[in-house]
Amino acid sequence: MATVTIVDPVTRIEGHLKVEVTIDTVGGILKVTDAKTTGTQFRGFEKILVGRDPKDAVYLTERICGVCPVSHSMAGSLALEKASGLTAPSNARIMRNLVLGANFLQSHILHFYLLAALDYVDAPAGAPWSPSWNIDLMRSASLQQISGNFANAITMRRKAHEMGAIFGARMPHPAAILAGGVTTKPTSAMISSFTSYLNVLKQFIDNEYVPDVQLLKSVYTDYAQIGKGPGNLMAYGVFDLVDSGSSKLLKRGLVYNTAPTSVQAVSTANIKEMVTYSWYNNSINNLNPASGSTVTVDPATKTTAYSWLKSPRYSGAPMECGPLARMWVNGDYRSGVSVMDRHLARALEAQKIVNAMLDWINQIAVGGSVYNSYTVPYSKAGEGLTEAPRGALGHWLSTSASSVHAPTGGPAIANYQIITPTCWNASPKDTNGVRGPMEQALIGTPITNAAQPIEVLRVIHSFDPCLSCAVHVMRPNGKPVVIAKAGAR
Amino acid sequence: MKISRRDFLKYCTASAAALGLTSALGPLSKALAAGGGPPIIWLSAASCTGCTVSLANRILGTAPVDLADLLINTIDLAYHPNLMGASGSLAVDTLRTADNGSFILAIEGGIPTLYNGKTCILWSENGVDVTAMAAVNELAAKAAKIICIGTCSSYGGISAAAPNVTAIKGVKALTGKTTINIPGCPPHPDWIVWTIAQLLAGTNITLDSSGRPTTLYGKTVHSQCPRRSQAWATSLTQTGLCMGNLGCKGRQTYADCPTRKWNNGVNWCVQADSLCQGCTQSTFPDKFAPLFSTMGATPSGHPTVNPPKTNCTACHSSNPH
Repeated sequence: MATVTIVDPVTRIEGHLKVEVTIDTVGGILKVTDAKTTGTQFRGFEKILVGRDPKDAVYLTERICGVCPVSHSMAGSLALEKASGLTAPSNARIMRNLVLGANFLQSHILHFYLLAALDYVDAPAGAPWSPSWNIDLMRSASLQQISGNFANAITMRRKAHEMGAIFGARMPHPAAILAGGVTTKPTSAMISSFTSYLNVLKQFIDNEYVPDVQLLKSVYTDYAQIGKGPGNLMAYGVFDLVDSGSSKLLKRGLVYNTAPTSVQAVSTANIKEMVTYSWYNNSINNLNPASGSTVTVDPATKTTAYSWLKSPRYSGAPMECGPLARMWVNGDYRSGVSVMDRHLARALEAQKIVNAMLDWINQIAVGGSVYNSYTVPYSKAGEGLTEAPRGALGHWLSTSASSVHAPTGGPAIANYQIITPTCWNASPKDTNGVRGPMEQALIGTPITNAAQPIEVLRVIHSFDPCLSCAVHVMRPNGKPVVIAKAGAR
Repeated sequence: MKISRRDFLKYCTASAAALGLTSALGPLSKALAAGGGPPIIWLSAASCTGCTVSLANRILGTAPVDLADLLINTIDLAYHPNLMGASGSLAVDTLRTADNGSFILAIEGGIPTLYNGKTCILWSENGVDVTAMAAVNELAAKAAKIICIGTCSSYGGISAAAPNVTAIKGVKALTGKTTINIPGCPPHPDWIVWTIAQLLAGTNITLDSSGRPTTLYGKTVHSQCPRRSQAWATSLTQTGLCMGNLGCKGRQTYADCPTRKWNNGVNWCVQADSLCQGCTQSTFPDKFAPLFSTMGATPSGHPTVNPPKTNCTACHSSNPH
């Protein structure tokens, strides 16, 4: 008979997420037998955007996330450019890649050292790192080189943001990226400064970050088998190598668990968002985001639901997105789908990106065009597909048929829908009762101490969710339950 | 068992030296315990975490020089959902230990009141979901000082933009308490650190009518802008000109961005030929939207080209070009 503990909040994640796990003894081993992920924050950006000047969407949506604002800038810019029949100049494409790349590097470094590492590495004494949950002290003894890099990681992610600000104006929430291109006019001094930062970051990634993750993976070999989930991986792709976007550093595509080496094309027409278990009106169930809608209900009136996240599905299937999905689809990493594979794919992706950036920085044409002006058209739609550090990000925009917005006149935003990567990864059950990727990944995870299930944190953190997170051991009807004996479920 | 602070610093110093990072050695070699001031409880309400990310971009020649120096040597950050080691009930216990005595409450994000606050739940305690609204109301009543980090907790910000979907309020509007507001979307890390340092030193902070420290927010962006005497740009493709005619909100916005700059002095919005969006103002973003319009930004009768450097008192009573 085990003790039931409520664990809430889970920390070292961005935003607000709650996870309820049922822990049961199966075959004599304590394991997670069920899991529910709950997005506990709703802000309503999609409704804020309707009726506004379409050009403002870039700057409003980047404030969705302070950790991946550049990805929202990109998705918002691409959506409006698609709707307007516009392509940004080559210089703008390159500078956007560099700002976005800078933000990927800061996010990946931040995630490993400041958010995820404390699940494995002994925390330094004192706030904010201590007190903390007990970890495996035997194994943490061989991981001191990782804690030794905490302060370096703080320095390196700061430098990555300084680098991004050279072309992005400031970080986070860059001001220089917008539909049509960028505002920054590059100079040789900017290029030289950017290159200096890149060399410092490359040294850290090559000599510290990647080796640290490889060390962790070699010590925690069991976590190469834990936290798989559905095994369906999807990437929209990112870092356009040509202005049309037809060639990317990290390709668009998806694979199913049943045929993991068969990369298929992504068609966003196959995406539907389900809300059966979300605090939205069922009238908006199963809509494609291009014609999507957001109608909330009071959680008190829809007690079967348990999340503010919708459940996006691709042809009905839950898809994992993130660095592992990108690297897998691209053919760069196919060792497996697990907690450790996510960490290693993320580090190797950082390495791939920093190397590519060293090429791109030399492709900028000083004095070349950076912005193409345009007029926002009436009654047009556009989708902006890109990647956040934590996975596939899509914005869907449509413009109004008549002039709405004073004083500038012209069309307004008629509809705006956003599907974030964490919405894919941390989605609740869909209408068919199929659980989201993170829920599936949690089920089966062995637990040492139900009072402090550090193993649950390891699985959650491997996805780098952009949500603050709370873990509950499930208590039906709010009453303590006795964890069932093996075979009872 | 935890590794001691001294051992931790030893690892970090060795790693920094191996990388040739002499800049990291200064703060770490001090090897001090966390400062003796009151603990800081940092809540994240309806936010994007951008304020915390901006804080992590701190770098200055004077201590605390960066985030590591701040956390290791300067403040006792008892509760911070993105940075703390503890999770679950241990995290809540840590908060309850800190709020048992004198503490500073820092809040990032607006406070939703729709559905009794249930669009933003911070933690679970005694089997009850604690909303941001409940947590802020409770802790604000006990806090020695309240710092609102960013425009959302100060005034509502983008999270409260029309139609204010989740009925968001700023902390002062919600609680009626006096708050020290450090607006900005995001706020500059120096603004946050300066304010915390004043509070730990017991220095009285003079606030303006929007609750902002006048030391930081005393002048308009335009009055400090190196382009204030330049001709007005007619297109975003131009560089080096005043963009007041394209929608720059520097005239109505109080902040020291032009002199302090961002990200270790690398850049700031106008230097990159983008617009000041007015993000430190209580009316951001709705009063300034559409951002690419001169809505409210162009005083009537103002010259549209080559504004003269004098005789502008009709438009700028105390801030000449």
